[in-house]
Amino acid sequence: MPIIDQQTLVRSVDILATGILVTAFLIISSKSLTFYVRLFAFQSILLGMLSLVIAVRYGETHILTAAVLTFVVKAFTIPLLLNKVIDRIRVRKEVDFSINITVSLIICGAIVILSNSVAQPILQVQRAGSLFTTKVLPISIAVMLIGLFVMISRKKAVTQIIGLLTMENGLFLSGLSITHGMPLIVEVGIFFDILVAALILGLFVFRINKSFETIDIAAMRSLRH
Amino acid sequence: MNDIITNALLLILQLGVTVLMAPFIFGIIKKTKARIQNRRGPSIFQPYADLTKLLKKEVVISENASWLFSFTPYLLIASTLVIVILVPTVFAPLPFHWIGDIITVAYLLALGRFFLALAGLDTASGFGGLGSSREMSIASIVEPAMMLSIFAVAVTAGSTNLSIVVRSLSTTPASIFNPSHLLAFVALFIVTIAETGRIPVDNPETHLELTMIHEAMILEYSGRYLAFIEWASQMKMVIFLSLLANLFFPIGLATVLSPAALGVSIVAFVAKMTLLAIGIALVESTNAKLRLFRVPDLLMTAFILSLLSLILYFIVGA
Repeated sequence: MPIIDQQTLVRSVDILATGILVTAFLIISSKSLTFYVRLFAFQSILLGMLSLVIAVRYGETHILTAAVLTFVVKAFTIPLLLNKVIDRIRVRKEVDFSINITVSLIICGAIVILSNSVAQPILQVQRAGSLFTTKVLPISIAVMLIGLFVMISRKKAVTQIIGLLTMENGLFLSGLSITHGMPLIVEVGIFFDILVAALILGLFVFRINKSFETIDIAAMRSLRH
Repeated sequence: MNDIITNALLLILQLGVTVLMAPFIFGIIKKTKARIQNRRGPSIFQPYADLTKLLKKEVVISENASWLFSFTPYLLIASTLVIVILVPTVFAPLPFHWIGDIITVAYLLALGRFFLALAGLDTASGFGGLGSSREMSIASIVEPAMMLSIFAVAVTAGSTNLSIVVRSLSTTPASIFNPSHLLAFVALFIVTIAETGRIPVDNPETHLELTMIHEAMILEYSGRYLAFIEWASQMKMVIFLSLLANLFFPIGLATVLSPAALGVSIVAFVAKMTLLAIGIALVESTNAKLRLFRVPDLLMTAFILSLLSLILYFIVGA
C-alpha cells in the first residue's frame, strides 16, 4: 500500500506545478534582483517537493535523490551564490527593459496558451502512460519558454542567469512528467552542470562589472571595436 | 404565504449582516494595523461612532455644485444595497438571486463609480478631477481582472449566478481546492485591494495630493453625504471579502433553511471575514504604497493571474 494515493498525488502535483508557473510569472512581473533570487529559490523548493511527492508515491530512489539535490543545489547553494554576487556588485534593480512589464506579462500569457497546444501532440502519444503527465507537460514547457523570454527581454546579467536557471527547472519538470525522471547519472550530471554554470556565470558577472562598471549586457557592444 | 415570510426574513438577514458588519470590518483592519505598529489603536467599534457623528452633522455644499453632487450619495448607497442582495453571505441561494448575476454586480459597481467620478468633477475643484481621472484609469484594468477571476470559478459551477455558483461549490467540496481557483483567489485578492482603495494601490488614511485616489474624489463631501459614501465603500469591502470567502472557501455556508445551519453559517462567516480583514491589514502593514505609474503593473499581474486561472481550468481541469 503506497503512502500517497493516486488522487492526492495528482492534486498535489497540480498545485505544485501551478505554483512553479506562478513563480515564473512573478519573476516577469518584478524588478528587484534579490526578489528574483528569492523567487527562484522558492520555485526550486516547489520543484523539490513535487519530485519528493512522486518519489514517495512510486518508491523510486533516483527521483528521491534528484529531489534532495534540488533542495541542496537549487534551493540553497545557487541562491546563496547569486545573493553574494548581487551584494558585491551593488546592483539591486533591473531598470530599463527591452519590453516593459505589462507587455511581457501579456506575452507570457500567450506563451502558456501556445505551450498547451504544443504539448497536445506529445500527450496524444503519451496518454496511456503516467496519469499526471497531461497536466504538467504544458506547464513545464511554458516555464521553459518563460525562462527563455526572461533571458531575451532583460538586460542585466544576473537576470539572465535567473532566466537560464528557470529554463532548467522547466526542463527538469518536463523530464519528470514524461519519463518519471531521467536516469540518475544524467540528473546528477545536470545538477553539477547547473551549479558550475551558476558559479562561473556569477564570477563572470563580477568581472564584467569590474571592467565595464555595469552589468548591463547592452553596454558590451563596445567589445566589437 | 409562508414562502413570502421566509424570503423576507432571509432578505432582512442578508442586508442586516452586510450593512451592520461593514464598519466592524474597517474597525478590525484599523485595530490590527495599530497593533502591528505597536499602538493601541481605536476601538473596533469606532467606525460606528464615526458614521453616527457624520450622520448628525450638517451638509456643506459648494455654490457651484449641481444636482449631481447631492444625488450621487443616494445613488451610491442604493446601487451598493442592490449588490448586497445579489452576493451571498450566510445563505445561498438568496431569495432574489434571479434578478442578476456577476455581470450585473460588475455593472452596478461601475454605475456607482461613474457617478462618484462625475460628482468629483462637478465641483470643479482640482483634486476632485484628479481623483476621478485616477479612479477611472485604475478601474479600466481592475474590472476585467475581477470578471475573469470570478469567471474562472463560475466555469467550474457552470453558471454566472453567484448564488448558484456558491451553492454548487459548497455541495461539492472536492472542487474547492484546485490550482485554477488558487490563482483566481490571488487575483481577486489584488482586485479587492484595488477596488476598496487599500495600501499598495491607494491609501485611505491620507489626504496628500500626490497619492490619494478615492479620497480626492470625495474631498468636497461632508455630513450625512460623506457618511453615505463612507458606508457604501465599507459595504463594498464586505461585498468583496464575502466574494473571496464564499467563492473560494464556502465551508460552513448554509444551503438549507434551519436555525442550526444558519447559526453555524453566521459564525463561520464572521470568522472568515475577520481572518480576511486581518490578512488585508497584514498586506497593508508590510507593503509600501506603489507609485501611481507602478499600479498598472500590479493590476496587470492580477489580470494575467486570472487569465491564467481560466487557461489552467482547461489544461488542468477542476
